[in-house]
Amino acid sequence: MEFKPKILGFLCNWCSYAGADLAGVSRIQYPPSLRVIRVMCSGRVEPIFVIRALENGLDGVIVMGCHLGDCHYIDGNYEAVNKFKMLQKLLNPIGLGDRIRLEWVSASEGVRFGQVITEFTEHIKSLGPSPLREKEANQQLLEELEAIARVVEDFRLRALVARKRKITEEGNVYEKIIPEENYEELLEDAMNAEVIRSKIYLNLQIGPLSVKELSKRLNLDSASVLKHIVTLRQQGKVALDRIEGLTPYYIAIKV
Amino acid sequence: MSNKEVRIGVFVCHCGTNIGGVIDCPALTEYARTLPHVVFAQDNLYTCSEAGLAQIKKGIEEYNLNRVIVASCSPRTHEPLFRATCQEAGVNPYYFHFVNIRDQCSWVHMNEPEKATEKAKDLIRMGVARAFYLQALEKNQVDIDPRALVIGGGIAGMTVALNLANRGFPVKLIERKDRLGGLLNDLNKVFPTLDDATKLLEIKDQVLEHKNITVFTSTMIKDVEGYVGNYNITITKGDEEEQFKVGAIIIATGAEVLEPEGLFGYDGKKVITQLQLEKILKEKTLDAKNVVMIQCTGARTDERPYCSGICCMVALKNAQLIKELNPDAQITILYRDILTPGTEYEKFYRDTRAKGILFLKYSPDRPPYVEEDHVRVLNQFIQKEVQIPADLVVLSTPLVAYEDSKNLAQLLKVPREANGFFLEAHVKLRPVDFATDGVFICGCAHWPKDINDTISQALGAASRASTILAHRTLEVEGAVARVNEELCVGCGICMKLCPYDAIARTEDGLAHVREVVCKGCGLCGASCPEQAITILHFTNDQILAQIKVLMEGE
Amino acid sequence: MEYDGKEILVIGGGIAGIQASLDLAEMGFKVHLIEKDPCIGGRMAQLDKTFPTNDCAICILAPKLADCARHPNIKIHTLSEVIKLEGEVGNFNVTILKHARYVKEDACINCGECTAKCPTKVPDVFNTGLQFRKAIYLYYLQGVPSVMAIDKDHCIYLTRGKCQICMKTCPRDAIDFNMQDEEFNLNVGAIIVATGFDPYDPTPLTRLGYGRIRNVVTSLEFERLICASGPTKGHLERPSDKQAPKRIAFLQCIGSRDINNNPFCSSVCCMYTTKEAMLAHEHDPQVESYIFYIDLRAAGKGFQEYIKRGSKEYNITYIKSVVAEIEEDEDGNPIILYEDMGTGELKMMTVDLVVLATSLLPRKEVNKLAKVLGTELDEFNFIKTTPFAPLNTTKPGILACGCARGPMDIPNSVAEASGAAAKAAEILRRW
Repeated sequence: MEFKPKILGFLCNWCSYAGADLAGVSRIQYPPSLRVIRVMCSGRVEPIFVIRALENGLDGVIVMGCHLGDCHYIDGNYEAVNKFKMLQKLLNPIGLGDRIRLEWVSASEGVRFGQVITEFTEHIKSLGPSPLREKEANQQLLEELEAIARVVEDFRLRALVARKRKITEEGNVYEKIIPEENYEELLEDAMNAEVIRSKIYLNLQIGPLSVKELSKRLNLDSASVLKHIVTLRQQGKVALDRIEGLTPYYIAIKV
Repeated sequence: MSNKEVRIGVFVCHCGTNIGGVIDCPALTEYARTLPHVVFAQDNLYTCSEAGLAQIKKGIEEYNLNRVIVASCSPRTHEPLFRATCQEAGVNPYYFHFVNIRDQCSWVHMNEPEKATEKAKDLIRMGVARAFYLQALEKNQVDIDPRALVIGGGIAGMTVALNLANRGFPVKLIERKDRLGGLLNDLNKVFPTLDDATKLLEIKDQVLEHKNITVFTSTMIKDVEGYVGNYNITITKGDEEEQFKVGAIIIATGAEVLEPEGLFGYDGKKVITQLQLEKILKEKTLDAKNVVMIQCTGARTDERPYCSGICCMVALKNAQLIKELNPDAQITILYRDILTPGTEYEKFYRDTRAKGILFLKYSPDRPPYVEEDHVRVLNQFIQKEVQIPADLVVLSTPLVAYEDSKNLAQLLKVPREANGFFLEAHVKLRPVDFATDGVFICGCAHWPKDINDTISQALGAASRASTILAHRTLEVEGAVARVNEELCVGCGICMKLCPYDAIARTEDGLAHVREVVCKGCGLCGASCPEQAITILHFTNDQILAQIKVLMEGE
Repeated sequence: MEYDGKEILVIGGGIAGIQASLDLAEMGFKVHLIEKDPCIGGRMAQLDKTFPTNDCAICILAPKLADCARHPNIKIHTLSEVIKLEGEVGNFNVTILKHARYVKEDACINCGECTAKCPTKVPDVFNTGLQFRKAIYLYYLQGVPSVMAIDKDHCIYLTRGKCQICMKTCPRDAIDFNMQDEEFNLNVGAIIVATGFDPYDPTPLTRLGYGRIRNVVTSLEFERLICASGPTKGHLERPSDKQAPKRIAFLQCIGSRDINNNPFCSSVCCMYTTKEAMLAHEHDPQVESYIFYIDLRAAGKGFQEYIKRGSKEYNITYIKSVVAEIEEDEDGNPIILYEDMGTGELKMMTVDLVVLATSLLPRKEVNKLAKVLGTELDEFNFIKTTPFAPLNTTKPGILACGCARGPMDIPNSVAEASGAAAKAAEILRRW
C-alpha cells in the first residue's frame, strides 16, 4: 500500500501561515501531506502538542514561524527554538527526533514554503510510516512517549526552558549569567532525571514494585533508582505500599 | 464548558472553480454532515457574496446553530467578514472557525484532486473538533489618543502632517536631518511641469507655522511602546530625550538614490548620477557637450530585480534641461525599456524625442562600456557596435531603501520585503496599512514613486490613520490570555516573557494579564510551568482536540 | 463623534469609490455612494484575477462590497446619476436621478424564478456581450445589492405593454411596474468623482481585424472568457469554433501610444496582459503566449519579478515589435504581420487567438458629468487635476481619484481613493 505521509504543521499566523497562503496564491504545488493548525505565534506551540501528535500516529510534525528577529510578537520564535531543542533531545533517544522539524518561513516566501513542505515530506517518506501507526506492535515506544509527555507537562522542565533566555542573557537569581553550554548541561541532566522519574512513576501506577524490579525494567542500577524514589517520595508522587521481608514495595500516588 | 447542546453548521465554498474545480465540494459537505455535533451542512458558490452570507444567516436561524464553520479561502482575508456575519445573526463571533481549503489546499494540489479532497476532509474534521471547544468571548474597549506621529519630513511626511493638522488632529513630525524637505532639497526642477523643486517646498512654511504641528528636526526615534491608539514615543535630539503619546504612527522616511560604486566606471566626476546632475544643473556649472545617459544602472538586475519607476522621467527631464541650456548639446539615452506611463509622461517622452535627444535600446547581456571619451554599445537594430562620444556620462540609478530602515522596522514591529522597502498589509487592497494596527506607510519608504503618487499616497495614509484617530475608543481583540489564580504560584516567568509587558503582579504576588495590552501571542500560556494560563481562542483543549481527530480518517 | 452634519457624495461604485466611502464612513462621515449600474463593484468585478498576486478579484472585492452595504454611514444609490449641481464647496446642492429598478430592493430575494421565465434575451454588457441575459436580470452573480433589475429598453411590458410573466412568477411580490424614475436632492459638503474607465473599442483599427476576424478579442472579453463565473465557466474557448487555443498572441498598446488613436500610455496593460497569459497557461499548460510590445512597463512593487516569472514559468515570449496587420486563414486562425524590432525583420506568425490589450479611457458619460459638475477635462477627457495636487479637480470641493483621472492599477486607485477621502474630510474640516 502506498505510504501517504501525514504531517501536522503548526503555522504562525503572521509569517508562515501567510507564506503558505502566498504559495497558494502563486499556485506553488507541493505534496498534500500537510495538515495545518494555525497559531498566532510559533512560541505558542507546546511540546505536549507535538508528543500527542506523534502518539496519535502522525508521521511528522513541523513547527513554522517567522525568521529570527522578525517575529510579529518580537521574540516569540526564540521561545519556539528553545522548546524545540529540548523536545528533540527528548525524542532522539527513542528514534523519533528526526520526525520533527522547526523552520522559518516569512510572509513573502511562498516559494520557500512549498520547498520546505516538499523536502520535509520526502524526508518523512524516507523514514517510512510512523511506528506509532501500529500501536499494539510498539507498546514499548508508546510507554517511552508517555513518560516524555509527563515530563514536558511538569513544572521543572517547563520552568527551566522558559527561563533559558533570562538565565543565559541576564543572569539567574544570584545575578550570575550562566553560559549557554553550562545551561545545556543543566538541562540535559534535568531531562534525564525527569524522564527516569517519569518512567518510574508510570511503572508504579500499574502496580507496586520493588527497587530491584524497577532497576531491571528500566535497565538502570539500583542505587540510581533508589535516589529517584527518594526524590519522588519527597515530591509526594510515590509512597511506600508495603514491605515484604526486607524489600520495600512502592506505589504511585494518584494526583 | 456550558451544558448547552453544541450545534455546528458547516458551509463549504466552491469559490467558483477555485475550490470546486479541484475539490469535490458536495462530497465534502456530505462528509461534514457525518461529523459529531454537525446539524447542518451546505455548499455555496461564493460564500463571501451577499447571497452566501445570507445563506449562513439563514442556516443559523433555521437550525439554531451555535457554532459556524466556513471552509473556503483564508482566515487572513475573510475571517472578519464571516465573524461579523455570525454576530449579526446572533452568534458570538468567536464561535466561528475557518477551514482553509483554497490557498492551502485546492490551489496547491491542483493535479491531485482526490488527495486534496481527502486533505479537506481531514481539515474539516479538525475544525469540527475544535468548534466543540470554542468559547464566546467579548471585545474590550480602549481609549484612543487623537495625536499622530509622522516619521520623516519630506514631501510625503509634510503632506500627511498638513492634512491631519488641518482636520484638527495634533501632529508630531520627526525629521532626522536638520531641515524639512527630504529629497526635494537636492532637486533642481521636477517633471513633468519643469517647475522649480523649491515651489513644492513652499508647504514647509505651512508645516512649520501650523498650530497643530510640532516639528522636531535633527531628531531620531529611540523607542516605541504601546499599541494602536496608545503609543508612548521616546525621541532623541542630540543628548536630549523627550516622551509623548500618540494614537497612530505614519512612516514617511523616503528612500535614497543608489550610488553605483563599481558600475560603468562611476567616479562622481565624469561618470555621475542623475542626483549629482541635478546639483550641476541647479548651479549652472554644466560644461559638457556630449552627454550619454545610461538607464537601469544597478536596477533590474539579479541582485536588485525591481524597476525604480521614475528614472526614465528623470533622465528625460534632465536631457530636456541640458538641451535648453546648450542647444548644441548631443544627448543620447541608452535604455532597456522607456517607462513613461499615463497621460502626461508619454507626451513628455514624445516631446523629448522631438527636441532631438537620441535613444538607443541596449540589452542587459550586452551592456554599454564607458571608455575615456566615449561609450561603446551594441546597436541591436543594425547589429553593430557603435561608439558614442561622451564628455559626461550620467547614470540613472534606482531609489533604494535606507539601510537603517531595518531598525525602524524592528522598533515598530513592521515587516519589510526582500528589497528593504516596508511591506504593506495587502499589495492591492491595503496599500498604506500594515498588518499591525496603528502604523501606516507612504511615499518612497513604501516603494519608489514620483511626487504626484507620493502626495496621493500620503493623503491615503492620512485617511487611514484618521479612521483610528477619529474615534474616542476602539474595540480590541477578545482572544487574550487569562490567568487562573488558583493554579498560579507567582513564579514570574510569564511576566518576564511577555513581549508587551502585559502581565503585572497582583498584591498577592500572582500574575494578572492587562487584557487591553495583551496581543494574544500565547507565549505566557505555552511557558507557564503550572499551566495556569489559558490562551483564549487558542486553548490547549482546542488544539489537542484537532490533533486527536487527525488520524481518524486513516 | 462630532462632525458638522455635512455629508459627502461619492460618484462611482467601483473599487475606488468603495474605498473612499469606507474610509469616510469609518471617520464618521455620512456618505452617499452613487452608482449608475444596478450593482456596485465596477470594473474590478469583471476581472478574473488581478496582478501582481494573481488573487481572485471577486474574492478580495466581495468583502468590501459587503462592508459597504452593511455600513450604517453609507447609503448606496444604484441606477443613479448626478444631473444637476448648484452651490459651492461646503454647500453643494446635488440633484440625483434614480432610474426605476421596477423591483423592490427590500423584497427581492434573488431566487431567479423571474429570470428563468423572462422571454427576452439581451446582450449581457457585464460579460462584454459574450452571452445573453434576460430583460429582468441580476447585473452579476456576486453583485451588491443582490437584487434583480428590469431593463426598461428591452422589457416587453415596458416597451409594448404585454407580458408581465415575471410579476406573476415572483413569490415575494417584488416586481412593481408602476415604479417611476425619481429625482431627489442631496446637500453635501464635498464630492469625490470615482467613475473609473471604459475600455477602448478597437473597431476603428481595421487593420487589426476586430469585429471582422472572429478570433480577435479584447482583453476584457478575454477576462470574461477565462473567469469561472463567465460565459464559458472559465474554459478558454475561442469564438469561431469553441476550440481551446494553444497559441495566443497579445498585442499591446491598442488605443494607446498611438498618435492617431490616443497618444498616451495606458500604464497597466503590460501587467494585465502578462496576467492574462499566465491565466491561460494555468488553465492549459500547453498554451504558448506571445506578447507583442513596444516598451515593457512594470515599475510597481513585485512587477518586475512578475514579468520574469511569466517568461520563465508560463511560456510567455515577449517580442518587441510593431504589428502591421492581422489577417486570417481558412480555419479562422489569425495571422499577424509584424516588424521584429530586435532584428529589424518583417515576420508572420499564425496563432489560434489574438487578444488586444485595449487602453483605459474615461467613461463615455463623463463629458456630461463634467459639465454638470463644472469640472474640466483634459485633452483625453480624463478629469483634469492640478499639478502636485493630484486629487483636486479644477473646481474647489470636488475631488477625483482612480481611473477617472487617468489610467492606473488597483493599488494606486485604492491609495488615491483613501487620499480623496482625506481631502474631503479636510474640506469639511471636522473629524
